[in-house]
Amino acid sequence: MTESYLMRNLRAVRGRAYPRLIGSTREPSWFVFDVILPLFTIAGYAYVYKFLDARAELIGYVVLGGAMTAFWLNILWSMASQLYWEKEIGNLSLYLMAPISRMSVLAGMAVGGLFETTIQAAMTLAIGAIAFDVVFSLASPALLILVFVVTMIALYGMGMMFASLYLLLGREAYHLSALMMEPVYFASGFYFPVKQLGFWAAAGASVIPITLGLDALRQIIFPGGAEDAFLSLNTEIVLLAGLCVVFMILARYSLRYMEYLGKTTGRLTLRWQ
Amino acid sequence: MAVISNLKVFKDSAWLGWQMEANWTDPFLFLTYSIVKPIAGTLILVLMYMVVTGGETGNAFFSYMYVGNAMYMFVADVLFGVTWVIHDDREHYMTLKQVYIAPMNFYMYIMGRSAIKIAITTFGVLVTLIFGVMALNVNINLAAVDWPLLAASLVLGLGCICILGLALGGVSFLTAKHSIGINEGMAGVFYVLSGVVFPITILPTWAQPVSKVLPITYWMESVRRALEPEVMQELADTSGFDVTGMGGVSDLTMMLYLLVSVAVFFVMSIGIFRVADNIARKKGKIDWTTAY
Amino acid sequence: MQHAVETQSLTRVFRPKKKKEGDIVTALDSVDLQIGRGELFGVLGPNGAGKTTLLKILSTLLLPTSGKAYVAGFDVEKDLMAVRERINMVSGGEISGYGLLTVRENLWMFSQFYGIKSKEANARIDELLRRFGLTEKAKAKVRTLSTGQRQKMNVIRGFVTNPEIVFLDEPTLGLDVNAARAVRDFVVDWIREDRGRTVLLTTHYMMEADELCDRIAIIDDGKILACDTPTNLKRMVKMNSTLTLSIAGLNEIDGFDTIPGLNSYSQTKDVESSTTKLRFVVEDESCVSDIISKVVAEGSKITSLQKTEPTLEDVFIKLVGRGLE
Repeated sequence: MTESYLMRNLRAVRGRAYPRLIGSTREPSWFVFDVILPLFTIAGYAYVYKFLDARAELIGYVVLGGAMTAFWLNILWSMASQLYWEKEIGNLSLYLMAPISRMSVLAGMAVGGLFETTIQAAMTLAIGAIAFDVVFSLASPALLILVFVVTMIALYGMGMMFASLYLLLGREAYHLSALMMEPVYFASGFYFPVKQLGFWAAAGASVIPITLGLDALRQIIFPGGAEDAFLSLNTEIVLLAGLCVVFMILARYSLRYMEYLGKTTGRLTLRWQ
Repeated sequence: MAVISNLKVFKDSAWLGWQMEANWTDPFLFLTYSIVKPIAGTLILVLMYMVVTGGETGNAFFSYMYVGNAMYMFVADVLFGVTWVIHDDREHYMTLKQVYIAPMNFYMYIMGRSAIKIAITTFGVLVTLIFGVMALNVNINLAAVDWPLLAASLVLGLGCICILGLALGGVSFLTAKHSIGINEGMAGVFYVLSGVVFPITILPTWAQPVSKVLPITYWMESVRRALEPEVMQELADTSGFDVTGMGGVSDLTMMLYLLVSVAVFFVMSIGIFRVADNIARKKGKIDWTTAY
Repeated sequence: MQHAVETQSLTRVFRPKKKKEGDIVTALDSVDLQIGRGELFGVLGPNGAGKTTLLKILSTLLLPTSGKAYVAGFDVEKDLMAVRERINMVSGGEISGYGLLTVRENLWMFSQFYGIKSKEANARIDELLRRFGLTEKAKAKVRTLSTGQRQKMNVIRGFVTNPEIVFLDEPTLGLDVNAARAVRDFVVDWIREDRGRTVLLTTHYMMEADELCDRIAIIDDGKILACDTPTNLKRMVKMNSTLTLSIAGLNEIDGFDTIPGLNSYSQTKDVESSTTKLRFVVEDESCVSDIISKVVAEGSKITSLQKTEPTLEDVFIKLVGRGLE
């Protein structure tokens, strides 16, 4: 990879991130729709635990899980399926014609979307913690940052892999994204300790980076988090790092292969599939 | 003549809604999707319950929660479905302006387009309830179901939800692409405040009067009384107090309240829709696109 | 010197996923083309002829079923990045871009995908906006632009990267006269500025192809029917020119038979306007002056004169058997 190719891709990341960042400021209504209103859904789950007289950590898990849904939804709707929208409005062919890696375009979307998503998650965590008296116990901020970053890289790598589906498919991929909301909330233990699913189910669900990410984050920031953990913190960090590598490689090849299939069948730029 | 014309618009737009909702894949995959999605959503709650109680699901509390969650799908999906019509036509297919200027009842068009969503959701609700009865010991005794009350509740409740969706649809004329979250947000408000998966008595004292104003609260209660009267009786007997917070309200009062709600929300929603529509036309937002 | 674009037996077949979705479509059928550097090359054909399919293959958005295509000497299947660095494409009726961004922001964003430094990109954007008369719209949000302004912005997007080869897929589609004229004038000026630049233009506007293109390929049903300069294409038709004169008064004029190069003529009296219409089919253009001299010598006053040549439409009809839809 020559320097000029690298610089070109970095500029592409910057270029594609720009509309996301500017869009956040020019259409600030997302703050209400994506931060304030979803808090009600989190509150619903928190009150379920209250109704069942559950221990306090579980309510904390709901608040954390609710905050992290922002990232999962960003992957599904603002990254993976975004290519579907780009195809429909005619931008996809322009991106594919440009002399850049497809991952740069997706990375730009991810970077641009992270601003909004991080605010969303942070606000959810803060408001939820205050509203439900959630107690955090943060022993190691550095470890928290490490787990968060590794989880995000793996997660966004997975998102890039999903995005490749949209190069070939149309509405099937869109509905697959819709299908991956509740099942992933369930399988990844967004609102309960994933080890409750049993070892093998939890192990299978660990393919989705946010499963291990959530479990690791709980161990770091909640006093009783380690008791509800599926695997030890160190094991989960190592596995997450492995997932980073795996998904980035898979994303690269998946994007290439799907683009090839799309160009062979003529569906790459076909609208309204 | 107007009635026939409106029915035709409803029929044609329902056909269009079916084409868009159902023809994206083969029937087997579509069926799988229609079953897996609602059950997965329900299983979140089931696992949360099991984490706390150790897995005992054959009791009144679990049935109360499970049925409420299943019926809530109507709230979430129908609100989404009605609002989505405008969003989809505007941002995706860019046909909103052509539909908008056509000489037909636009409200009927929206209702027709979202009718298929109601049908698919009904299937999902049935699947979820059957799964609950067969796999999780949810207590629904068909012999004890109050069918007239259930029918009346469903008709009035769905009518109310559709009309609310219309108001939100009007609002979405004025907001950008991400505003599809508005219907999820509103559904979330009902989820917390309307006794969907826990009684409103669990809420803070200041929130309970708000719950008693929302029509969905009455809808949930009336559906439960109709579908699982034995469960509701057991809850009252076990706890010894008005655990749901709605014990003092008779069936008739609830139906009347729902009826009045439908009427009030109908007027409000049409009003909101018209105001939003007017503003959208003034600002040229009928055919704008907001992707970024 | 290598060609700017070369295709060898290029074929593209589309097969539906399910039989009920339609028949197999051969969009391109053994297309052989060679376009030299510096050419403004036109591809003329009706809707569904295969023009867009050809451009999609050349711009690396579609793979051929068989055959080869080279852009700037690079294989479109194997040397993707090398091709992409040298091309750009503008389509008619484009709705690409983001409505929330300004014109400048949209153009800047796309320039970043080609690795152009921001300072240079903005300078190019300024210049191109000026040439298209869109300077005052630089800060306008894209969703506020008219159709013509949006298409101008799209054209600018295609040229801001300073490509070697530009593919224009019906770029004036849906534009009014002034906007279409602006686009055409720009394209002609752009290619003249640097003879290393090449434009491949697809259109179904005869006049546009005739006016702009150095050479034209006529395509129908995926096949190239003819490829030559507009003048040579018209010569293929072997149609004679027609000279139509209107003279004041209702008197007929005799004696044209002796004029060499004149194929036939007719005279029609228009009582309402008190004029006589003379129509001459000429084989040899040199007889036109003889005809006019004779009319004047007879003392007749010429009120109107029109000469019609064979057009590309005549060429198309001859080759295809029907007009452009």
